[in-house]
This record gives sequence, C-alpha cells and structure tokens, in this order.
Amino acid sequence: MAETAPDVEGATRDSSPARSWPGTLGLLAAPVLWLAVFFLIPLLVVAGYSVGILSLFPTDAGANLDDWSRFLRGDSVYMALFWKSIRMSLTVSLIVVILAYPLGYFLALVAGKRKYVLLLLIIVPFLTSYLLRVLAWRVILGSEGVINSFLYSAGLREPGDPIAWLIYSQFTVILVLVYVWVPFVALPIFVTLENLDSSMLEAGNDLGANRWRVFWRVTFPLSLPGVAAAFVFVFIPTIGEFVTPSLVGGTKGTMFGNAIQSLFTAGLDWQIGSVLALFLVAVVGILMLISGRFLRLRNLETG
Amino acid sequence: MNERWGTSRQLGRRDFMRYAGVMGLGASGLLAACQQAEQTPPAGSGSATPTHPPIEEEAGDLRIYEWLGYGDGSYGDDVLWREYKKAGYPKPKFIKTFEDDAGFTKVAAGERYDIVHPCAYRFEDWVNLQDAGGSPVMQPWDTSLVSNFARLNPALQGFGNFDGEQYFLVADWGFAAPMYRSDKIQPEDTWGVLFDERYRGRISWWDSLNMLITAAYLNGVPDPWAMSDAELEAQRDFLISKVPLVKTFWVDDPTPDLVNGDVDVAYAWQNHWWAAVGYGVPADGVPAVYMDPREGRTSWYCGFALFADTENYHHAHEYVDSWLSVPSAEWLVNNYAYGHTNTELDLSTVNQDLVQAFSLDDPSVLQEPKSHPERAIERRDVYNELWLEVKAAA
Repeated sequence: MAETAPDVEGATRDSSPARSWPGTLGLLAAPVLWLAVFFLIPLLVVAGYSVGILSLFPTDAGANLDDWSRFLRGDSVYMALFWKSIRMSLTVSLIVVILAYPLGYFLALVAGKRKYVLLLLIIVPFLTSYLLRVLAWRVILGSEGVINSFLYSAGLREPGDPIAWLIYSQFTVILVLVYVWVPFVALPIFVTLENLDSSMLEAGNDLGANRWRVFWRVTFPLSLPGVAAAFVFVFIPTIGEFVTPSLVGGTKGTMFGNAIQSLFTAGLDWQIGSVLALFLVAVVGILMLISGRFLRLRNLETG
Repeated sequence: MNERWGTSRQLGRRDFMRYAGVMGLGASGLLAACQQAEQTPPAGSGSATPTHPPIEEEAGDLRIYEWLGYGDGSYGDDVLWREYKKAGYPKPKFIKTFEDDAGFTKVAAGERYDIVHPCAYRFEDWVNLQDAGGSPVMQPWDTSLVSNFARLNPALQGFGNFDGEQYFLVADWGFAAPMYRSDKIQPEDTWGVLFDERYRGRISWWDSLNMLITAAYLNGVPDPWAMSDAELEAQRDFLISKVPLVKTFWVDDPTPDLVNGDVDVAYAWQNHWWAAVGYGVPADGVPAVYMDPREGRTSWYCGFALFADTENYHHAHEYVDSWLSVPSAEWLVNNYAYGHTNTELDLSTVNQDLVQAFSLDDPSVLQEPKSHPERAIERRDVYNELWLEVKAAA
C-alpha cells in the first residue's frame, strides 16, 4: 500500500480529466495481484489437472484429453447431472425472483419511512449460521417432523406413512435454496425500484392509467435490469451448490457441485473433478458475460 | 470407459503409494519418471535396527495422528491411555483425523507424527510408504517393550505382521452390517434388505465404495476385494438399478435418520446400533436390530503404527501399551461398542447385550466364514470411480 500512495496523490493533483497511468496501475496492482494469485493461477493449476499435465498419481496416464472428450460427448453420468443442476437452479432462480419482487416492491414503494427497519428485519436470520438454518428444515420436514406430525395428529395421514418427498428430495433442496436466497435477491430489486424516477409514475397516472396499468407499462419494464441482476445473482451460485444438497438432498437431490466435491475428496480423481470444475467456471463465465451485456443495454435504454 | 480403467489405472494403489511417498502429492509426471529410477525395495526387509536412547533421554512430546474420540478427550476417551498418564508421562498432542484416505494422503505428502492408527485395508500401503530418500516411513514395534502383547488376540496381531515384523499393534475391531428398526420392519437376515423394493424410500447406504462389496456379497462374487472389471461393472449396474430405493447416503452416521424415522434400515457399524438403542437404555433409544446377515458381516480392525523417524520410541511403546490394557478395553467396549484385542477382558464387566450382539466371547468371530475381514483393495481408485458413478446416477 505504501508504494502506491504517492501515485494516488499524483493522480489527484493532476487536473486533467485523463487518468495518469502510473496512478491507475498503482491502484490496480493489489487487486490484480490478488486475482492472479488466488484465482488465475489456481485456475491454471486446475486446467493442468484436467488435461493430465499435472496429476495426483504419478501412475496416471500423462497428458490427455480423455476426460474432457468423455464428458463433453455425454458418455459419463456427469453431463446428465449437470443438466439436472441447471434445471434445479433455474427453478430456484425463477421462484426466488417471483417471491422477491413483491418484497422489493413493498419495501421500495409502499413501506415508506419504515423501509430500512424492515430491510434489517429481513436480514436478521443471516445472523444465524447457514448450517443451522438448513438443518432446521430437517426438523420441519422430517418423517416425524413438524409437518408430518401435524398430519398424523390431525388424522390426515396414518402415523408411519409420512409424505416422503418432504425431506431428502429435489423438492427439499429447491425449497431450502429459495428460502436462503429470497432476502438476498430482494435487495437488487429494491435498489432498482428505489431509484425509479417517481415523476414517470406520476406522468402515467396523469395520463389516465390506473395503478395496475402503470405497473405493467412503466414500473415493471423499468425494473427489469434489477430483475435480471437478481436472477443471475441466484442462478450462478446455486449451479455450483453442494452444501445444501448434501444436508437435505438425500440421494435424489444431488447436484453437480456434489460430484465435483466427491471427485476431489474420497474419489481422488482430480482429473475428472477438474474437468467438471472448469466446465462450471466456463458456463458461469459465459452467463456473466451475457448478463453483463444485457444489463448494460437495458441501462442504456432506460438511462 | 472400460479400457481406461483397465489400462492406465491398473498399476494400482501400491505402486502409487511408493511413488507418492517419494514425490509428495501432485508432483508432475516428469519428476516422477526421474525419481522412479532411484526406487529401492519396499520397507521391512532387513533394515538395520537403530539404537534408541533410553526413555529418560526422550522429550516425550508424542504427536499422535488419531481418530476423533480415540484419546483426545472429546468424549471422556482420554481414559484410553490412563496407565500412560498415571506413569507421569506428558500429555500427547492429538492431531485428529476423520477419514482413512485423507489421513494417508497427508502422510504420503510429507506430514510426520510419532504414532498413527490406520485400519486394515490400508495396512500394506502404510508399510510400503517411503519418504523422499527412499527410506521407509514406518518401522515395526518392538513387542518385547509392550507388556500387554501376550494378552492380545494372536489372530488379529497376525494381521498386523508383515515379513515377520509387527508393524501394527491391532487394538480395536468391529463389524459392518445392516441395522433396522424392528418396530417398523421385520426383514430376513440378509444384506438384501438394503436393496429390497419393499423398503423403497426407507433405506440408507453408506457413502462409500464398500457398497460395491456389499453388492458383491449378495451377488455371490468370489472375491469382493479383488473384482474384475466385468464383476465391478455388474455391481455398479446393480447398485444403479437399486439406487432409486435409497433415501440417503450417510457420511458420518446413519443413526439420526434411523432414530428420527426418516429411514428404517441402514448400512451400519455396531456403534451406530448401540447409539440407536440408547446405549442399552431402551427409553433413550428406538427398537433396533443389528443384523447377522446370512452372507456374513464385514469385519474390520485397526492398529497402531510407529513412524520410523520418531524421537519418542519408548514413549510411543508405553502409550500404545496403555491403550492395549484391560481397563482401556473395558472402556472402549462399554462406551463405543467396538471390540478390543485384549483377550483378558472380563466379559462380566461388559453390557451383556453387547456380548451377545457381537459374539465378544468368540475369538474366531473375525475370521471367515463367520465374517469377512476387510482387506486391501488393490484397485481402490477404480472402485471409487464406479461408486461415484452410482452416486451421480441417483
């Protein structure tokens, strides 16, 4: 840091609007170094493993693209698992956005002065450990958990015949992920709606549109960048999710991330593990590029 | 994929372990090739017996690489070495491990301790492990320094003997078998219960390649620990066809799911059963049976091994000797429901439910055909791959 300080001063003294290069470089050095050491180099190492240049067992085959071609051709079980994960995280993202939108809307446009207090309340559960919040669902959804016990005592189901899909299923994973992500995702939507130019809404009203029409023709289109950001915000981390599925997913809720984790630990096959991990990074990277472009275009249109 | 597993992986675990010891993990193939030329034969054959300074001259700062709850005091288990403590030796430092494979790779990559406590299926790997200079990482025990040695089950100690040297002092043993809720289901005594359509959605498998071995018992494979490619793939396909019946793969412990009623039957070790039945207090547990399947239980045993470069040679012997004593055996059996190799344990001091459930009064219970002692799997990596495919197909 000490080395960059004079450069920063130099940059601020410079009255011309163009940035001074040494100053910019100085400022960027730390983050770039950080990314290089903790992201790019590890990524290269993973790439090395994925093509056999690096190997865990010296007895392995050496440089080869076998695992890549097997995976990309769909000859392994992992491609199917990938699509299953995509389906699951798409479902999660859709539900989360649908649930978070009214929440963000309420906070931004209805709650008035109380909105920051309410926002804080939404975030309160996050003071509890993630594991605890996920495990608590087992108490609710278990075969002898809150819901099934209620059904037994209400005579709606025979004791010993629980609703099986409540726990250890794809449903459970989706439910818990939705629960975890709704508050996070309400934030970008809230911010977009909060920054809406209220004169636009007033103009709509003045021109004779009812509230519903104003919402669909003005508010909603203007909030789309926030919705898209929110969608990506959930989708990207949930494709690689492995903690939640391993806690409440049982055999059927397994996701792509679980396969990667197993391959690197008990499986000890770092080559396939690296192929899967890199593939995921690539997919997420492409999604980021697309969504970044989309968001910028939307901003240009609305701005 | 068959060709792939058939060829490049066939070199097997033991070769890898030798190289891994030389190289450290993750080394590149090029370096490996250079070093292979310098390989020396595996340990155990005629290494000179170094002289050890007397115990008074040792620092006594033992570092023990040990399972959680096996001496570190997490569950009051520091009484397992109370004789050692009584003798006034300093408290050892426990480095906890949770998993055989991870523990082994750590040492293969260069970590060193004084004592480690691996289980049988990896015994040979440990004996063959070499460091960068090609010298063995482990050394045999001097059984004359272990006062309890004569009291230990000779058959089990035989398993720890390699080339006439006692590399492992086998301490604890146990079983793997199906466990079920007897208030909910009444299955026949067979491993088939884990693959039975009648219990769809009520079954828990262990998240382990041992499920392939279980399938092999059921399908009559002659040697489940050394299956051919065709046999392995048949077991994989069998498991994939049955995996829709399974509710969970357990990692640490199937007991909570069994007790909570989420599953009715699980692959289990006997300590799981003992916990499920409330440690012998029915009010604290659920009705559960630890099965003796007609195909035979799997049995396992673990033992202490000594690092070659230990500077606490005598302390290490004293420590393990105290672990092998009768009082320690009594504590282990009553608290963890594991077996102990000390044959002089007075079984009247042990809960009779345990004696009966695990035939603690029958020293031959760990031999074929009464049970199938766990063995080293030469192609463990292949087994692992196939198991991962089963999981991914669920």
